[in-house]
Amino acid sequence: MRFQEKLHEYSKEEIWEEYCGFLTLTMDEFMDIQKRLLLEQMEIWASSSLGQSILKGKKPTTMDEFRAMVPLTTYEDYAPTLLSKQTKALPGEPVLWIKTTWEGGVHPIKTAPYTKGMLDTFKHNLISCMILSTSRKKFEFDISVTDHMLYALAPLPYMTGLLPLLFKDEIDVEFLPSVKDAVNMTFAERNIQGFKLGMKKGIEYFFGLGSVLYYVSQSITSMRSSSKRSSSLKDKISGISPTMMFRYMMAKRRCHMENRELLPKDLFQLKGFMCAGTDNRCYKEDLEHMWGIAPMEIFAGTEPTCIGCETWSREGVYFFPDACFYEFIPEDEMNKNIDNPDYQPRTVLWNEVVPGGIYELVLTVFKGGAFARYRAGDIFQCTGIGSKLENNAIPRFQYIDRDPRIIDIAGFTRITEKSINQAIELSRLPIEMWTAKKEYSENNRPYLHLYVELQHDHLINSAVSIRILQDQLGIYFRYLDQDYEDLKKILGIDPLKITMMKCGTFAAFEKKFGTSIRKINPDACEINDLLVCHQSNTLEIGGGLNDWI
Amino acid sequence: MTGYSWFSIVALFCYVFLFVTFLSMKKSSKVIHAFMSLLVIMILWAGGSFAMRIQLWPSVILWHHVSVLGMTMLVAGYYNFTLAFLEEKNARSRYFWAIFHFLLFVFNYFTGLFIPDPLVVESNGSVQFIYNYTWHIYILLACILPCLFRMIHVIYRHCKGNHIAFQQLRPIINGLLILVIGHVAATLPFFSGVPLDIMSGPINVLFMFYALYNKRLFKMTVLFTKANYFLFAMVIGFITGNRFVIPLQHFLTDAFSMNQAISLLAVAVILILYILLLYTGITLLFNYFFIRNEKIQQAKIDQFAEVNSHMLNVQDILQNLTDIIQDLTHIERILIFTQLIDGDFRVEHTTNPLEEKNFYLKSDHPLVTYFASHNNPVSHHEFSRTTVYRSMWEKEKKDLHVLNADYFIPLICEKGLVGILVLPCNKDNIPYPLSSIQQIHTVCSLSATPIYEATAYERAIDDARKDKLTGLANRKYFFEFLESEFKKYQESALALCIINIDDFKRYNQLYGAQEGDLALQRVAGILISNLNESSTAARIGGKEFAVILPGYDIHSAKMLAENLASEIGKISDHHREQIPKPLTVSAGICAAPYMASSAKELFQNAETAVYTVKRSGKNAVQIYSSEIYPQEAQQFKYASGYSENASTIQALTAAIATKDPYTYQHSENVAYYAVELAKSTGMENDLVEIVKEASLLHDIGKICIREDILNKPSKLTPAEFEIMKGHVESAVNIIHHLPSLEYVIPTVASHHEHYDGSGYPNHLKGEDIPIMGRILCIADAFDAITSERSYHKPLGKEEAIALMQSEAGKQFDPKLVLIFLEMVKNNSVEIRGASTAAQTKAEPDPASFPVQPAETSV
Repeated sequence: MRFQEKLHEYSKEEIWEEYCGFLTLTMDEFMDIQKRLLLEQMEIWASSSLGQSILKGKKPTTMDEFRAMVPLTTYEDYAPTLLSKQTKALPGEPVLWIKTTWEGGVHPIKTAPYTKGMLDTFKHNLISCMILSTSRKKFEFDISVTDHMLYALAPLPYMTGLLPLLFKDEIDVEFLPSVKDAVNMTFAERNIQGFKLGMKKGIEYFFGLGSVLYYVSQSITSMRSSSKRSSSLKDKISGISPTMMFRYMMAKRRCHMENRELLPKDLFQLKGFMCAGTDNRCYKEDLEHMWGIAPMEIFAGTEPTCIGCETWSREGVYFFPDACFYEFIPEDEMNKNIDNPDYQPRTVLWNEVVPGGIYELVLTVFKGGAFARYRAGDIFQCTGIGSKLENNAIPRFQYIDRDPRIIDIAGFTRITEKSINQAIELSRLPIEMWTAKKEYSENNRPYLHLYVELQHDHLINSAVSIRILQDQLGIYFRYLDQDYEDLKKILGIDPLKITMMKCGTFAAFEKKFGTSIRKINPDACEINDLLVCHQSNTLEIGGGLNDWI
Repeated sequence: MTGYSWFSIVALFCYVFLFVTFLSMKKSSKVIHAFMSLLVIMILWAGGSFAMRIQLWPSVILWHHVSVLGMTMLVAGYYNFTLAFLEEKNARSRYFWAIFHFLLFVFNYFTGLFIPDPLVVESNGSVQFIYNYTWHIYILLACILPCLFRMIHVIYRHCKGNHIAFQQLRPIINGLLILVIGHVAATLPFFSGVPLDIMSGPINVLFMFYALYNKRLFKMTVLFTKANYFLFAMVIGFITGNRFVIPLQHFLTDAFSMNQAISLLAVAVILILYILLLYTGITLLFNYFFIRNEKIQQAKIDQFAEVNSHMLNVQDILQNLTDIIQDLTHIERILIFTQLIDGDFRVEHTTNPLEEKNFYLKSDHPLVTYFASHNNPVSHHEFSRTTVYRSMWEKEKKDLHVLNADYFIPLICEKGLVGILVLPCNKDNIPYPLSSIQQIHTVCSLSATPIYEATAYERAIDDARKDKLTGLANRKYFFEFLESEFKKYQESALALCIINIDDFKRYNQLYGAQEGDLALQRVAGILISNLNESSTAARIGGKEFAVILPGYDIHSAKMLAENLASEIGKISDHHREQIPKPLTVSAGICAAPYMASSAKELFQNAETAVYTVKRSGKNAVQIYSSEIYPQEAQQFKYASGYSENASTIQALTAAIATKDPYTYQHSENVAYYAVELAKSTGMENDLVEIVKEASLLHDIGKICIREDILNKPSKLTPAEFEIMKGHVESAVNIIHHLPSLEYVIPTVASHHEHYDGSGYPNHLKGEDIPIMGRILCIADAFDAITSERSYHKPLGKEEAIALMQSEAGKQFDPKLVLIFLEMVKNNSVEIRGASTAAQTKAEPDPASFPVQPAETSV
């Protein structure tokens, strides 16, 4: 039975219990589901060639043995099998393969197999997200088959392209534009067409990456601003429904009286507003201002599928019990591992996290998934255990960011030490030392801040102004990483900022603190120390040269 | 009364009846409330119309307005009901339309523009109401239309692309059409005087009633209540009675000369009696159709419960359960899972013997977990919507799919869940009626306790009758059963075969008690798998089995016994690396009535036959009689082949002497100590020889150890010690290549096993370690600590004794070590290590004594 049929067949309470009942599980009940499904996955995964390539002949039979025998894994461990799509080596028969960016130019893509069991669970959890996105309290949600969804998501074979298909499997919500048409459109075309259709039919749901939602929302505002001056205004509004026209007129009048710009919330009353990806925190407030309701965060990824979402309280993400087995690397263990990559960090279970703790997520995908004890590189903070609002006793989390060794801007890029080195090498810029950090602008937008020190010998003969560095490195980042280019193309943002340090600054830092600064995402205080070294007059080499660069 | 009045009465009755029925419901939803609101509107309309037509006090005009109020509010009420039925979220518009329509009524009340007040015309004693409608009534209709269109829009929006919603709404749409047609037609002059508007009301309500029922918002049983029967009787009584009340009163007055008051009283009494009679008749009638069947079924269930309470056999109860279910519901396929002793559930009974029974539900299966907190039946579909279902394995989902399970009904007693009854989908995939499920649930509830008690009883009987190690009947039960079987078959034929395993004590000594137990279990397995259903096997002694063979003559029994002996001899063929020698058995057979006249005699004769075999060389099948069928003896002897193997042993020890000179001398010393200890325990000579051979070869595996580790002058590192531990496995591998020496393998393989289980390689414990292995362990350790090493001097006699004593029960068999130390103390054993240390400078095996010196040990 499809979800939309259930809407008529069952009461709201019954539907809620089916899809959102996991919110009121006890810790033990949740862990029982986790452990039970792990036993199934453990057996099929350990018997597969892929599992054996990691287990080296061992075969765990209990959860503790599994955690002891299976080392923490990264995509490198699966790449030989998954990139060549060796289906026979997998624990389950894949129905489809999903693709995503791995490390830009270094490793262009990674692929992940999806079994039928995984897709069924994904679909179920996606409907839970849909229900929760429209809910204002327990048992209260508002979904109708006649609703319309504006979406700003990449098509298949990216995981986001799977979402409309899964929704369609369960409910005949109309996508704006239709999935079939959207495949052949550019990103901008899709937005324009989606908005036009929205004006005709209304928009009840809006779903996409946080950054993209923000961009699209701004586009809608600007589209209306431009239409005001357009001679073909009549053409543009000819397809608008009378209700929408009435609403538009009322909204215009209200905005005029309040002396402000027309915002999407003046035209559309969203039932559900869902965002995914990184840096959602940066856009949430603006999105709420524009649409009148706060977006609900969903956590999904190519490897783990959809594993959690917020509720009406927007207090944090709750994990689904049946998508993956969750383990968490505590922050101190994570740091030890960053300092010493050979160190095997200790993990804690979902029921062992403590409020306030920052953790790196480790996943074992259930239902025949390929990944076991997999470090997807996502950092979460446990924001609390138990909520009076939701009347539950389980932990909730907030997505913090990617693994500190990866710089992810607005959910688009995955910049690593390797990719920066490669860009520098290709650009042939005389960069002696560098360190990169993800920082946020005054209006809370993320960007990549590269602190560079040039080679002393090349300073006189080379043209290396900050502008040149920025342009050249930008070119090679775009060359190496399609997603970086998309940042510029789709969102229109150039996320690179460069600060040039005096020659010898990095050496001075090392001399002063006895250790070199971390290449990627050093602490803010380390950056401060570096800047102190930069401002110091006691540098031994090239102190005066920077003045005329 | 006119036809209008009659229609009004019928409509009014219909509305009041439904209203009262729903009012009595304990739980009701929003949609039921909306339906009741609509019924109130209908009652106002029909009631007003009726009161007007009978010119009820206070005035016709008042009742006319009440009727108009109902009529104008009707669409708003209908709209409200539709929104509730469709669970429309944005339902604020219902208030707008309610107020709008009320205002229309108010306007009409003061102006009479749409529906004018009727003219009351009396002609020929009857009263007629003439409505002078003008075109203004169409204004009213036009005002009502937007709400109607809005309602149609809502319905269209919900039904678009959703056939289930459309199916649910279809009765309501039909009712609505009838209502609209009725009202429009009533305004046409052609139908003037025909109450089409009123007639359409009850029809519409019945459609709505059906829609609610179809959506399972209430059960039909709410209609069949005593209150409703009485209401029904009242109305019928009133309708039919009003025809004869006046004539009856006239009749009573005229015929019996009663005065007015008495005749009225008499009529009232008669009317009451008439209504009571009607009530009784209606009750009997409905009960006949709806309850009689129920009573018959209840009688069957009572009988079932009675029979169940006397049953102590689970299979019989399950059969009884499926029989009654099939009788009550005519369901063909039924499967019943019952709980096993380990908590898992297995298909124990099916209605179709061809059904596959190899289905298990683990004790933590989500269905079992679900029934831990739910007592009611659940459909597969409903179960798949629960949160606990999320922990279901894909394999388990497939299993339920293979079973084609549609409904699960728990068998729960006070002690908890004892079983689960599964109803597979029926042939046409038509859902099972709820009433059938409820009946099955009832009989399941009645069966749960008997099943629990019967299971407990059967387990208790099993415990009392079965041998725990082998699962066969035990000695006590064997004699009881033999007695009863003898009585049963003494006129036909009953054979008894007693099978005694040869040299089993030695087998235990060679391979350890654990291996011995395994051998007994395998023998039992062979007996079970080779016997037919009427035969029974029992373990009547430590190594003795008996097989009762009803209907067997001597020849058949002999054939079977030979077959069993042959199968038992093959046990070791596919055993693990450490191959035990084949088991042989001595079997004795006796049969009644040919050779015994009582069960006791039968047993004694079979025993005598066994002793005959034992005396004549074992490993044979003997029939108790003067005719003996000698069996070719294939007796395996453990007689030592030392003299034949001496050269092989010499060659092997010479090889190790070249590589590690110490080990050669160490092996000689260990052999000396071990032989002395073995002798002092009363071991037979051939076993003592095996101890000696094993001692000489116990460190032969050191050939495979690197010389730098073997002859390392300092302490071994943990990694080196791990390598050194491999010498046991290497020794076993080497000896495997010498089939004539294989019998020493168990001893060699276990000489580093510790009594407390902390040894290696198999971490055997206690008497699971073969006795010769335990002897070798003591001898090996004693020589290790009393020999000189580069990193420690040999311990003195007293120190060695103290140290060995401290390890009694830990590393060593506490009894054997005490015997050995006693021999050392009274100089029955000469300490050889110290004297030989001078001759050799190499190191002893550091693994021989892991406690001291501790620094070198693991």
